[in-house]
Amino acid sequence: MEPLAKPSKIEQAKAELCGLDLAPRLGDLASQGWESLDEATLTIRLKWLGIFFRPVTPGRFMVRLRLPNGVISADQLELLAEVIDRCGDQGSADITTRQNLQLRGLLLEDMAPLLQALEAGGLTSRQSGHDNPRNITGNPLAGIDPEEIVDTRPLVEVIQARLLGPAGPRNLPRKFNVAVGGAPDSFLLHNDLAFLPAEHNGQLGFTVLVGGFFSAQRNELAVPLGLWLRPEQLADFTLALLCHFERHGNRQQRNKSRLMYLIDQLGIDAYREELVEAFAEPVHPHDGSHLVSRAPRSGLGVHAQKQEGLHWVGLHVPMGRLDAASMQELAALARTYGSGELRLTEAQNALIVDVPCARIEALLAEPLLQRLRPDPSTLQAEAVSCTGNAYCSFALIPTKGVAQQVLEELEQRIELPEAVRMHWTGCPNACGQPYMGQIGLMGAKARKDGQMVEAAKIFLGGSMGAEPKLAELHEKGVPLSDLADVLELLLLEQFGARRREPAGF
Amino acid sequence: MRSALPQWEPAQLPACGSPDRWGWLQQLRNLPELDPEPWLLALENGSLSIAPDLLAVLAERLDPPAQLRLLRWWRQQPDPDPGLPSQVLRHRDGASAAWLQEQLAPGPVALGFALPLSALPQVVAAALLPLLGHQRQVAAWPVLLCWMRAPIATPLRRAALEGVARGLSVWPRSQLVAGLSALAGDLDPQLAAPAVDLLARLPGARRALVPLRRCGLDPRVAERLGRRLAATPAQPLLLVVHGRAGGQLPAELVALAAELECRRGAPVRLQALSAAAPAAVPAVASELLQPGQVLGLVPLLLLPGGHVRHDLPAIVRHWSAFARVQHWPFLGAWPRWQAALARELAGLAMQDARPLLLHHPLEGPLAARYLTTLERRTGAHCVATPYSAEHLAELKLTLAAPALAAPALPLALAANRLTDQLAEQVGPPLLQRPGLRQLLLAELEALP
Repeated sequence: MEPLAKPSKIEQAKAELCGLDLAPRLGDLASQGWESLDEATLTIRLKWLGIFFRPVTPGRFMVRLRLPNGVISADQLELLAEVIDRCGDQGSADITTRQNLQLRGLLLEDMAPLLQALEAGGLTSRQSGHDNPRNITGNPLAGIDPEEIVDTRPLVEVIQARLLGPAGPRNLPRKFNVAVGGAPDSFLLHNDLAFLPAEHNGQLGFTVLVGGFFSAQRNELAVPLGLWLRPEQLADFTLALLCHFERHGNRQQRNKSRLMYLIDQLGIDAYREELVEAFAEPVHPHDGSHLVSRAPRSGLGVHAQKQEGLHWVGLHVPMGRLDAASMQELAALARTYGSGELRLTEAQNALIVDVPCARIEALLAEPLLQRLRPDPSTLQAEAVSCTGNAYCSFALIPTKGVAQQVLEELEQRIELPEAVRMHWTGCPNACGQPYMGQIGLMGAKARKDGQMVEAAKIFLGGSMGAEPKLAELHEKGVPLSDLADVLELLLLEQFGARRREPAGF
Repeated sequence: MRSALPQWEPAQLPACGSPDRWGWLQQLRNLPELDPEPWLLALENGSLSIAPDLLAVLAERLDPPAQLRLLRWWRQQPDPDPGLPSQVLRHRDGASAAWLQEQLAPGPVALGFALPLSALPQVVAAALLPLLGHQRQVAAWPVLLCWMRAPIATPLRRAALEGVARGLSVWPRSQLVAGLSALAGDLDPQLAAPAVDLLARLPGARRALVPLRRCGLDPRVAERLGRRLAATPAQPLLLVVHGRAGGQLPAELVALAAELECRRGAPVRLQALSAAAPAAVPAVASELLQPGQVLGLVPLLLLPGGHVRHDLPAIVRHWSAFARVQHWPFLGAWPRWQAALARELAGLAMQDARPLLLHHPLEGPLAARYLTTLERRTGAHCVATPYSAEHLAELKLTLAAPALAAPALPLALAANRLTDQLAEQVGPPLLQRPGLRQLLLAELEALP
């Protein structure tokens, strides 16, 4: 038998002390001095509280929240706006591809009061990073969607409560993504665990899909586990699955530690059997068919809710980045024109909900909507981006800035009849999910005129529809200076774009 | 010593732009053990050039001595990449902190605008100043302060301010408040705005922020200050005061409370000692306080007499039954109040005559110690003054005598029998004196 490999530094740090045990000490740390924190705590364990050391800006931290189902109130958004306003030029908030928010530019001194304020405001940042179950996503239109199959909000809430409760996992081998679908366009196959609405003997419940993830080494869509669950079983089943993963996942090789590797190791049938045994509740076999049949709606613009007389207004947030002033204004608009609730989407946009018919016109006339547009160009509408090298050491290009610049350039040149989902990511780690885009772009290097320059790989053909498909490599490395030209041609040839008439004609 | 596996040696690193490079580096990153020595050697002997992707991988594996070694190498480069230090210097340790201190301690004079060989390039200083703060060593404070105040390019001053930010809770508090308060008035909003934001993070921030409202800040900075103050709303205050006969509240105190309420944007109530305790304390408490709020109880009493020692604890107990109470010391014990009294007395001073502080008689050793302290701090002579008609008449004659010729100040906030009867000799009560009134208003306004 081979001797067990020595645990990595990360596994050692996790085993020695759980980051959650730091929570009661935050107040003391604030008063006694953060200097007493060792490096493993500073850079690893604090992530259990949602506090991220940023190697590019040592001393300026990021806090990632948990917003189950992407629901946030105006009061909560205002609270967060104040937090990043205090960070001046360094402060910003990014809407993430998990319907979540992460705040940048914070100091350690902000942490104790911030975490208190989050708790008082009904928010948490607990276990939002590192080897933890990440923010649980659901239908961003849950409860208001005329096409809704099932309201995902209560299900997501219960799953989160179960996972963060006393029996929840505290030391997973790797991060873990969970999602619940509730509409015909709930594409969720990029999650480690996805529950998609499905019928069984005429009863509405969920079929279970497992193992989806993207990484530099491997990209997989989730596969059917072959089980069907009643809605009230989701939380306990999720807990059982995560506890199984906590016990059996790979802790020796971090690049082979996502759930799919465990499924590979056991085989899907044996894996299912072990889960059924661990769950210890009756479950039904299922063929994996489900009621999700098309790619996600953007949700942008004005749409009637299922509640008569009410609408949601979807606003495009360029590259998902918000500053304090925009957050304040957004909160005020949600309160003034709607019920004070907002939703965040996986496409990094924001929705104001419960707007009565009579208030729509006034809302559309608000100055903020010149920046966060309900009717962005078809190029901008479904653009998604990772953070880029402004905050991430591994990004090969400044993703958000490049994406914005290229899209604005293309807007001048072409008209696109329908929105094209473009996913931008800075490196092969694929945080911007390039394989899910109709067009995917990934930071790279390429040679141009004898010089090594920043570039992008181009992927094509990703589909989140009835027959999901990952995008495939189309161009190995287009220098960023040529990217607008290459994309223009692609959009003209393959996506029905038309050249704009030159000005004056 | 660990040795690099042959396939993971620097010589095997695919060239920049190679499609294999990113994956190769990620595999290097995921090795359970990585000896940085060959990599540092290759950099030092010039056989390897540092690129951001390589740096991102190496930086994670450097221990403090290795990070310092890489920094020293970087500092010797003719054209150092300003992005390197922040990636490398993630560990806080004494040697790295000392090296940073050594580089920056000479202050802006080290910039050497004529660029002698030993000069500190601006780009280097700007890269290192934030990291000096990140090291959180209190010895760095004077260095950062010096750079922050110096008449040099704004980016360098901002870098020093960023250093201050990243170690905020380490610096000497009073010097920090003074330094940031001065910077908040800077003509450059790029410096003034972050200074306001940092002050707002300090414990008891209102005390530092409120005075800035009267500083004529840049309009954008003033707006920012308003937002910071709005986020630290003032507690409701209960001012415990001497009343007049029958619990009547003197007009000066009523006016003070009204103005204070306006300036704090929070309720301010008066409770006279001479009045019966309000029967409706629970109702008043719920009217004053939002859920979770604390009631600030401020005794506007000037002497540690029976009221302070006996009546006040009873009042605090009474309110504590219905609200969370923060109980402040009696006004006469506040150092800034004592200093203001000294200034007021200095304004009355006559040559060769020690001014008098006329106070209600006190008993006990505590009172004696207090009066001795007050005399020392104000330079006045404290004179016990019974308020009986007989004593006041006698005092009136004494003070009117040309032989005495000493100015006197009544230790009474609002009009009372002493100031009513000896108005010509002692002047108005303290709250009718602009300097003292303004000081008291400012102090009360700055309370949490």
